[in-house]
Amino acid sequence: MLEHYLPVVIFLVVGLGVGVVMISLGFVMGRRRPDAEKLSPYECGFEAFEDSRMKFDVRYYLVAILFIIFDLEIAFLFPWAVVLEDIGLFGFLAMVLFLGILVIGFIYEWKKGALEWE
Amino acid sequence: MTAEQFFFYAFAAMTVASAAMVITVRNPVYAVLSLVLTFVASAGLWLLLEAEFLAIALVLVYVGAVMVLFLFVVMMLDINLARLKEGFIRYLPLGVAVAVAMALMMALVVGPEHFGLERVPAPERHGPEYSNTEALGRVLYTVYVYPFEIASVILTVAIVAAIALTLRRRPHTKYQNPDEQIAVRREDRVRLVSMKPERRE
Repeated sequence: MLEHYLPVVIFLVVGLGVGVVMISLGFVMGRRRPDAEKLSPYECGFEAFEDSRMKFDVRYYLVAILFIIFDLEIAFLFPWAVVLEDIGLFGFLAMVLFLGILVIGFIYEWKKGALEWE
Repeated sequence: MTAEQFFFYAFAAMTVASAAMVITVRNPVYAVLSLVLTFVASAGLWLLLEAEFLAIALVLVYVGAVMVLFLFVVMMLDINLARLKEGFIRYLPLGVAVAVAMALMMALVVGPEHFGLERVPAPERHGPEYSNTEALGRVLYTVYVYPFEIASVILTVAIVAAIALTLRRRPHTKYQNPDEQIAVRREDRVRLVSMKPERRE
């Protein structure tokens, strides 16, 4: 089985090589004359208004966790699709029930307005 | 050293190094990114064990989704390092106690006597036709159908809990309603007034 992954390894090595070569070339050959003004943070030409460590709105968290839940649901669908012919009607109905329960949650979040961005 | 051993040591070294970075780097965002690297390297290790589906699921779910959540949480907290370090001495005894208790528990549960090749023999190699995803799917939706359905219930509970905890109405925010914007007709916006022509004096 592992021999199928040779292209992935080659891809990894090439990708890593390109990244390392580009950054190190810029590092070695680029001209660097830093001074205090060049290194100071700026925001579209202004002085920075506030620290970058600001609080994010909690709404991003809600979007992220809803994404995780449906991402997990997708992960369950992959092996099911691969073996659907072997597991027959029982396996099919098991997934229908699984998705049905999650659709209840989906309807809940839709009706609650959790998908709205006001 | 075979190629497989080479990859095992490479991934294992990457896992250990990046896991060490998670707890040693000062910037919490870098720590989260190191954790991403740890997960990717562990996925490589699982791949070497021919656990194909689990490796992909690790990358898909943990690297793709859970770590995004971690990043959000790290950014949502107000990371002021000076303030974080303030209570160091005050919390030190409690922190040490918790650390010692956890280290003891881990030593009891996952001590070295539980590992080793004679206890956990290496899984036998399968041929090139073997598919871990198929093997998993055959049992997951038939033999283990009950835990599988419970998983969906847990996910639904997670949806409800996340919404209940974080959904806030903000009555004062101004926002556009695309529905209304698209559905608007000429009569709603333009009013034609007929009036007599006026002459300038």
